[in-house]
Amino acid sequence: MNQQYDAIIIGAGVIGAPIAYELSKKGYKTLSVDKRPDAGEGSTAGSCAIVRAHYSTEDGVAFAYEGFKYWLDWENYLDHVVDEKGLAKYMNTGSILIKSQGHKWRDVKKHYDAVGVAYEEWDNETILKHVPVLDLHEFWPVRRPEDPTFFDEPETELEGALFCPEGGYVNDPALSAHNIMRAAEAKGAEFMFNAEVVDIRSADGKVQGITLADGTRIDAPVVVNCAGPHSYKINQMAESVWEGCNIKTKALRHEVMYCPCPEDYDYLNDGYHQSDGDIGCYIRPETGNLFLIGSEDPDCDPQEWVDPDEFYAGKGGHGRDNQLTDEQWKAQCYRLARRIPSLQVPNQPNGVVDLYDCSDDWIPVYDKSDLGGFYMAVGTSGNQYKNAPVVGAMMAELIDACEKGLDHDKDPFQFTMKYTGRKLNVGFFSRKREINYNSSFSVNG
Amino acid sequence: MVRWMKIYVCVKHVPDSAATITVKGENEIEEGITFLMNPYDEHAVTEARRLKTTLPRAEIIAVCLSRPEAESTLRSALAMGADRGILVTTAQHHDAIMTARILMRAIVQDGHPDLILTGKESIDSEGMQTMFRLAHLFDMPAATNVVKIETTANRALVTCEKEAGVREILKLGMPCVLAAGKGLNTPRYPTFPEIVKSRKKEIKTVGVESLNISTPASSVKRVHLAPALEKRSPREISGTTLSIAEQLVTILKEKARVI
Repeated sequence: MNQQYDAIIIGAGVIGAPIAYELSKKGYKTLSVDKRPDAGEGSTAGSCAIVRAHYSTEDGVAFAYEGFKYWLDWENYLDHVVDEKGLAKYMNTGSILIKSQGHKWRDVKKHYDAVGVAYEEWDNETILKHVPVLDLHEFWPVRRPEDPTFFDEPETELEGALFCPEGGYVNDPALSAHNIMRAAEAKGAEFMFNAEVVDIRSADGKVQGITLADGTRIDAPVVVNCAGPHSYKINQMAESVWEGCNIKTKALRHEVMYCPCPEDYDYLNDGYHQSDGDIGCYIRPETGNLFLIGSEDPDCDPQEWVDPDEFYAGKGGHGRDNQLTDEQWKAQCYRLARRIPSLQVPNQPNGVVDLYDCSDDWIPVYDKSDLGGFYMAVGTSGNQYKNAPVVGAMMAELIDACEKGLDHDKDPFQFTMKYTGRKLNVGFFSRKREINYNSSFSVNG
Repeated sequence: MVRWMKIYVCVKHVPDSAATITVKGENEIEEGITFLMNPYDEHAVTEARRLKTTLPRAEIIAVCLSRPEAESTLRSALAMGADRGILVTTAQHHDAIMTARILMRAIVQDGHPDLILTGKESIDSEGMQTMFRLAHLFDMPAATNVVKIETTANRALVTCEKEAGVREILKLGMPCVLAAGKGLNTPRYPTFPEIVKSRKKEIKTVGVESLNISTPASSVKRVHLAPALEKRSPREISGTTLSIAEQLVTILKEKARVI
């Protein structure tokens, strides 16, 4: 007799763990399985864990703003559970969105107003008062150092920024997933690690359970795909699921750099999260007074779509393994070095390489599937970390409603956000949607 | 008129220590990985830049023997403060005997060295011979694992680190060959304006065959290359926070010797 659960969640990262937590709170007997040895050890560990509100759609802004409230009230969210590893910390640095041609910041401002996000408009002088190391010339368009025009002298100045006093980052993304796991366990959830799913079993259009690489079969009427960069492989294992998605996901290789801060600037303690479309970079402080430099996926940068299994096996070779490349190191660091002329760029690349589970329009898929009982929270595209606790609550309600008979494809579930009170049409995240051209098609979402 | 002092800095183009090294065939490595300046050579370039600021007229020339791709390493040296570069291009590996002969010839062809700086070793072959051989060919004194340099008109007062914790102070006649250790300085990496400036600096490319290096009586050939699989096992440090911190400090001081 196979082990029986009410729901199996594939993936114990920052998306899977909150779903297990919220389903457990609803009384579901859940099992989370993950091929890694502990919670948050997959691509969650490589997340920059940025918490900021600017998204290209109003729903995106609202969703992120709702997420803030969870991070600000982390212990309460976890129901004061004790994690032997300690609690992850939300660092509320404040968030600067540089007004540039690289961002539709006027739309963002409109969305901030609509949602009620607190923000200030800063002119260049105010920016420099807060971040004195910046050169506020306009460097647009974003280019690569291989392009000789990259080094051209700028002529125009930027026109200020939108500043949100709320915003920042979580200091340890893997630990945050671990915290949620402990909170879920306190509500009865179970977790199984070093467990690789090799089959999704189904019969008569209904999911029956999963089979692991060691042959173990576990049954449940609900299976949720939260497999991160492996999500498309899991969807392909499930009957008619992959074919039933109009929006598909795949794994995108991404590099994030650590570059030392100039000596006379205490970025770790005085710095802000900064989103700078003019140079295609976002930055946040990192331990050791480093700049963490992420890429906002400018058009000139190559995209490297990879097989996640090969990538994590470190099979070697440019673009396939988890080693930084010299050219991307230079691209991201030199871009920031234009903005911060006193930044010293080391010769040796230093940073993190991991994968995005990227959807066709860079907006996630939070949905049911064409297979009864099979759900997915996939395509998080490097921009959903901050939303994870909200995703947990929303997915649990969606699953519960569908299991109780709702036809979500026909009559999309309306999710009420706990803190902002806004209603969100979950159909926005449908697998059946057409590509959303309002998206930034980047990590900005 | 004050003569221009010429400081030559030998830099090596090596694989990034963080890269996954894959052996290709019998004795090659897969080269689709990041290559950069040997880290010890970064200390040498940084020191050359510092010395230059103390001298009335000095020129820093970075010299590299490698494949043409090593121009990137020379560009790094130029961005870090070298005034110009010499790239001796070759398609093959050379042992320390040949490398020293080639570097010597390239330097002699260019000018009269007043000081030659190198890293104390390269992180790929770890031979620790080239700088001594170079000094021998030039008939110059040499010191390695140098952590402090003071120069006067014809003397260098140099502190070298021997075994951990033991330092030796040497007085060397100039010109001399000094090999930088990690303790010499903190590498001074380039800012964007320096990177921009370095793009216009000159790199002279010389084919190794044009140097007519005589073949030594004998040589070293790399026959076989195999990955060294180091077995690491974690050890849990337990106890109170204070005792964990104390144990860590002891390990870092006595075992790792990094503090």
